[in-house]
Amino acid sequence: MLEFYSGNGNMYAWDNEVGLSIPFSHTMRAVMNELSDQKSISNKGIIIKKLKKDFEEEEISYCYDWIKKWEKIKFQNYRLQIPYTVSISDIRQFVLRNCLLQLTLNVTEDCNFRCKYCVYSNNYKYTRHHSDRYMYFSIAKKSIDHFFSLTKEGLRYNPLRVPAVGFYGGEPLLNFDLIKECVEYIEDKYKMYHTHYVLTTNGSLLDEEKANWLMQYDFSISISLDGPEDEHDRLRVYRSGHGTFQDIMSNIKPIMDAKYKKIHSQTVFDWKSDLFKIDEFFNRSDVPHITGASIVNNVGGCKYYNRFSEEDNTAFMKRLEEAKIFYLENHDYYKSHAGASFFDLLFGKGAAQVLFGPGSLLHPFSIMPFTGTCVPGRKIFVDVEGSFHICERVPSNIPIGSVDRGLDFEKIAEILSNYFNHLDKCSLCKAQKLCQKCYQSFATDKGFLCSSKLCEELNHSLIESLTFAFTTAELDPDIVERYDIPHEKSEKIIMVNKNVF
Amino acid sequence: MYFRLNPECYFVRGSKNGAIFDLIDGKIVALDHQETELMTICENNEPIYDGRLFRELKKLRLGNFYLNKIYVQKLRIGSPIEEQQIGNPPKLYRAFLEINNSCKRDCWFCGYYGIRRSLGCMGCNKWNQNGEPLPTEKWKKLIDDLRNLDCKSIFITGGDLTLIWDKAIDILDYANKKFDNIYIVLHKRSLSENMMSYLTDKAKIIIQTENLDKQQLDGYIYLLIVKPEDRNSVDGITSKNTIRDFVIRKPESLTNSSLMTKKKIQLSNMHLFLNNIKYHPCLGHTLAISYTGDVLPCPMMRGHKFGNVSTREIYAIFEKEWEDIYKFWGLNLDKIERCADCEFRYTCIDCRALEECLTGKIDGKRLCSYDPKEGEWY
Repeated sequence: MLEFYSGNGNMYAWDNEVGLSIPFSHTMRAVMNELSDQKSISNKGIIIKKLKKDFEEEEISYCYDWIKKWEKIKFQNYRLQIPYTVSISDIRQFVLRNCLLQLTLNVTEDCNFRCKYCVYSNNYKYTRHHSDRYMYFSIAKKSIDHFFSLTKEGLRYNPLRVPAVGFYGGEPLLNFDLIKECVEYIEDKYKMYHTHYVLTTNGSLLDEEKANWLMQYDFSISISLDGPEDEHDRLRVYRSGHGTFQDIMSNIKPIMDAKYKKIHSQTVFDWKSDLFKIDEFFNRSDVPHITGASIVNNVGGCKYYNRFSEEDNTAFMKRLEEAKIFYLENHDYYKSHAGASFFDLLFGKGAAQVLFGPGSLLHPFSIMPFTGTCVPGRKIFVDVEGSFHICERVPSNIPIGSVDRGLDFEKIAEILSNYFNHLDKCSLCKAQKLCQKCYQSFATDKGFLCSSKLCEELNHSLIESLTFAFTTAELDPDIVERYDIPHEKSEKIIMVNKNVF
Repeated sequence: MYFRLNPECYFVRGSKNGAIFDLIDGKIVALDHQETELMTICENNEPIYDGRLFRELKKLRLGNFYLNKIYVQKLRIGSPIEEQQIGNPPKLYRAFLEINNSCKRDCWFCGYYGIRRSLGCMGCNKWNQNGEPLPTEKWKKLIDDLRNLDCKSIFITGGDLTLIWDKAIDILDYANKKFDNIYIVLHKRSLSENMMSYLTDKAKIIIQTENLDKQQLDGYIYLLIVKPEDRNSVDGITSKNTIRDFVIRKPESLTNSSLMTKKKIQLSNMHLFLNNIKYHPCLGHTLAISYTGDVLPCPMMRGHKFGNVSTREIYAIFEKEWEDIYKFWGLNLDKIERCADCEFRYTCIDCRALEECLTGKIDGKRLCSYDPKEGEWY
């Protein structure tokens, strides 16, 4: 078990077999150790006799009975068979039932920005670099036809799926004509699927005409905004090096004035970011609601953090801690605020994910037994030349098909097998069900590589996350028991009825 | 000092009283009003003074004392965040395939005469209804479609299946290639030994009967018809493979021994309890397909129809009528009058078909002898 203490000084332990954290104590640990000691006889009387010099007899008895009861719900620990193989027909069925959520077209690799942390900059070893390639309609059309052909077949397995088509870049609005062509084609040929459209843009080319067209087709518009002007312009600049903030704010004004609901912000920060200023900025009514916040990705082969010193890191960690404390001290304000705040996403949602993300009691899908990874095919990311990829973040040397071959289930089987065969420590990991790592975390140019260091770091950060989640929940369960549905802080994750505890 | 229930213990409040449900050991601790208020304070993480109730609950291993405010995550199945993802496939666990509506017997308890039974869904029935029966090929197609939808179990039912024996075994044999969990319903008087031996290993056989044999055969499920006047006398029947199928002639015939009585409140398993928090205990995850192909919430709720599989495939019915289907699946007992006030609502049974028939309302309640507002059984 992974033991940790909350801010209130309570002891808890993450029980991976059940997939839940439980109240814990030194007595509980001692009794568990006695019970798991294969050499000794685990009779209650003997254990009490053995432990009563250190613990209260009544408490030993309680722990013994409760552990015995708790064990009744434990399954045999899941063990992955190495070498891991999975049948192509199982993958096909899984994809048709549970995947195909979004087709993302990388309509251009060109971008008018040169953001400091860009995943396509030279900072990342395993992703492509800046280029000026554009997608042609012939590639987009074949991708769309293939996606809807699978969607049609998949309806028999999951009739409730709402297909989404996303446009990504580079800066996708540099190829706006292609976006229009694609949407018109889908609306003409696949109208019956009520497709949901998604655009991820830097916002600089979002003039009124484009904005009106996007709103007409009910697009979810995701704007990359990194906070107030000085924060944003430090990281997100034009090729010329000039700041981009003013142009974006002026472009989104008509959309905000129109009270369009499906526009939101995604923010990225680094060790130099002023977290408080970012939080304050996203509480403004002229700024789209924030639905995503993440620190610059530090995956294998990333050089971005080379520019920072140890002191920068220490100072950032201090500010992060101050922000956490501020968030907890002002939780009433954050609860009452309409829409999620930056701190809600950073802290509240993170805590909710730790508490309610892991699947309790159920065995994971045998097809994806470990880590938080998806089965390739959940999304299909199409690059400008028509190769299919797992998603926009996973390096392009692991394709899963192409416009000509379609989604390659054999390739997916090979990727899964390759992936899990490199994760030979997972079956014994105490944090197995909490792990959120995926292909991106382990990808190299020669396949997947899982290092002990990565797992150590993960375990360390999980304990920190659990500590924070329980500290928050002790203060006010309402913060963690709500899961932010975009634009509204509405339903509680676990109980809708206030009379159930 | 604080007292909190353990992760496996849920505390449910009714309008007057509350109850604690131990999901591992299946125990229920019913609390009086004062205890309910005390328990509410505890579970709201407010400090308490040591007291008899809490010491008692600790002795029962249902909760523990803590020095500080503590957060106890409740035991659950799966991931609530995962479940909230938009576009998850529907969770269809059970489908009734009513492949026939003909029967030469003239049983007094038959649905044909408008008689309602507590397990009329599962038992044999024919309906006073005309229409073209679905051909075998359509049933096979439907079985394929249900398999694709990941349906967990099917019930093959309708009239007297022995009258269409060739068709029934053709469909059953086909279903056997696709499903592990198949039930088939037959009346005891129609069953021959040859038929029984043919069906063994292919399906779980549910035998509808009015009288129990002295020696019931193992491996079969007996569905015993119970007349209103015999309700009390069958309480002693405890055979593990016998289920009582109560006949409801009319509301006036209901005595104090209504369907739901104190004796019947039991916590069968954590899956059902957790499921019932969100779904109707019977209609949730269930569909029935009538012999003409009508898709119904259950075989007895013939007035509600989501579509017909002879004109639209079942997946297309899910796609277009999901909102309507979910109205029945999601009709948890919080939405039923009286039940909403009851602390036992997530561990209770409920037959919406009967209740609707007796009260004329989809959310009406007649078959219960507990008054949750007073906290008394009558």
